[in-house]
Amino acid sequence: MLNKVLSLSILTFLEGVRDRAIFGIGLFALAMMSVTLVVLGFFMRELDKVAVDINLSAISLAGLLVTFFLSINLMAKDIDKRTIYCVMSKPFSRAQYVWGKYIGILFIISTAFAVLTFCSSLTIVIAKMQYTNWFKAFSWIEYFKAVYASFLMFVVLNAFIIFFSSITSSSFLTLLFSICTYIAGQTIEEVVIYLKSANGQEAQLSEFIQKMIDILQYILPNLSVFDLKVQASHAIHLPLDYLLAITGYAAIYSGILMIAASLMFSRRELP
Amino acid sequence: MAIIDLNNVSKSYVSGFLMRKKKAVSNISFKVGNGEILGIIGANGAGKSTIIKMIQGFIRPDKGDILIDNNKPFDPASRIKMGYLPENPYFYTNLTAVELLRFSTSASGMPKQLADKRIKTLLETVDLYPHRKQRLKTYSKGMTQRAGICFALVHDPQVVVLDEPMSGLDPLGRKMVLDLILDLKAQGKTILFCSHILNDVERVCDRVAVMDKGHLRKVFTREDLGNQTMEEVFLHTIEERSEC
Repeated sequence: MLNKVLSLSILTFLEGVRDRAIFGIGLFALAMMSVTLVVLGFFMRELDKVAVDINLSAISLAGLLVTFFLSINLMAKDIDKRTIYCVMSKPFSRAQYVWGKYIGILFIISTAFAVLTFCSSLTIVIAKMQYTNWFKAFSWIEYFKAVYASFLMFVVLNAFIIFFSSITSSSFLTLLFSICTYIAGQTIEEVVIYLKSANGQEAQLSEFIQKMIDILQYILPNLSVFDLKVQASHAIHLPLDYLLAITGYAAIYSGILMIAASLMFSRRELP
Repeated sequence: MAIIDLNNVSKSYVSGFLMRKKKAVSNISFKVGNGEILGIIGANGAGKSTIIKMIQGFIRPDKGDILIDNNKPFDPASRIKMGYLPENPYFYTNLTAVELLRFSTSASGMPKQLADKRIKTLLETVDLYPHRKQRLKTYSKGMTQRAGICFALVHDPQVVVLDEPMSGLDPLGRKMVLDLILDLKAQGKTILFCSHILNDVERVCDRVAVMDKGHLRKVFTREDLGNQTMEEVFLHTIEERSEC
């Protein structure tokens, strides 16, 4: 069973990494990182924070572009364009198909992250050599923790894409739902803060409602927990517990989404 | 012994804003025996592709049963020994023919050495071996169709389902595919063959099923044709039913 899932993952990976879009996205991200070196010249202070912020943003943006333009093509368009017939005519169960696609997409995201992290690290090394004084507080460990957290967000976001692809037959709808999920996931923490406050002070909410809000913010995808740009740019130490907690959150959330996607897709017809 | 067994199968599609049900096939029953070639002929929209999609497990029948070598089509086991060529094969265009075929063999659990040998033989048979390292997006329609035939046959299936296998092929390509089908027949493979090119069906099939507007109108053998051509029998069957 694992062999089959792996063979489909490799197929998905090869199809994805050879897509022209990935080269475009890669070049765009590299250009953004190179711009860091130029942009730093315009700043008078906190150059380390600017460099870290631009590089982490470039990685996130490239990840988003890969997710929205490539991942969606790899499953939703598979169904849209009937390429799925070529896979499903082989002895694959629907669940194996869904998992194979997801793991293949994760291979692509991992590769993209590996390349982008290497390039961004190189940019920061150059910046560090140019402006040594400004990078005294900079911490590589915190930087890589932020990259890892960003990767976890894409693990969850791509599970959403697989889930939406398994319930709709239009790649456009999958794209729309995924963008909405991303926006909702990024803003949910602000909504919670808003709900818990009144006129700038803490709102008087019953304990039950407080608890409901706390639970709901994690049941709905809380993608902002994966955004550690501020911590990385200020070299704020993040405890290992936090990393373990968000890793568990991403794994449980993606696992549930994938099980739901497998169940939905097993019932689905492919006319 | 029947390898493909359809028993009273019906299927409707829901379409439009009012979710109206449209019957695609009604009460279809037929069997395809081991080593037999059954051709399904019919006009566009007769329900040929719907039957094939149900056999492949892409869609479920609303009523009736389908068994492929005693397995339900939704069971992946039913597809271990089955090869399928869709009407318009769409493949992953960034892959090469060899990569696509390797995927097929590994998904079917074929040993690598045997798979490599089989891939080479098949690509040579359909004249794609010189283009084996080219990406599929550079292939013409005929080349894609030939790659599709290789994809359906590479894991050496016992049952082969071909939906319009001559689509997009030039006369040479058509001859090549017909020879391939006859070769499969000589090897004792069971073939379900859907086409609206009646001459091709006449040449290779042991039995022919005529479909019209979702109904199975008639099943006849080559011997039943007598002095008539396939086209005459087909038109006569359709006209006869229209008058009824």
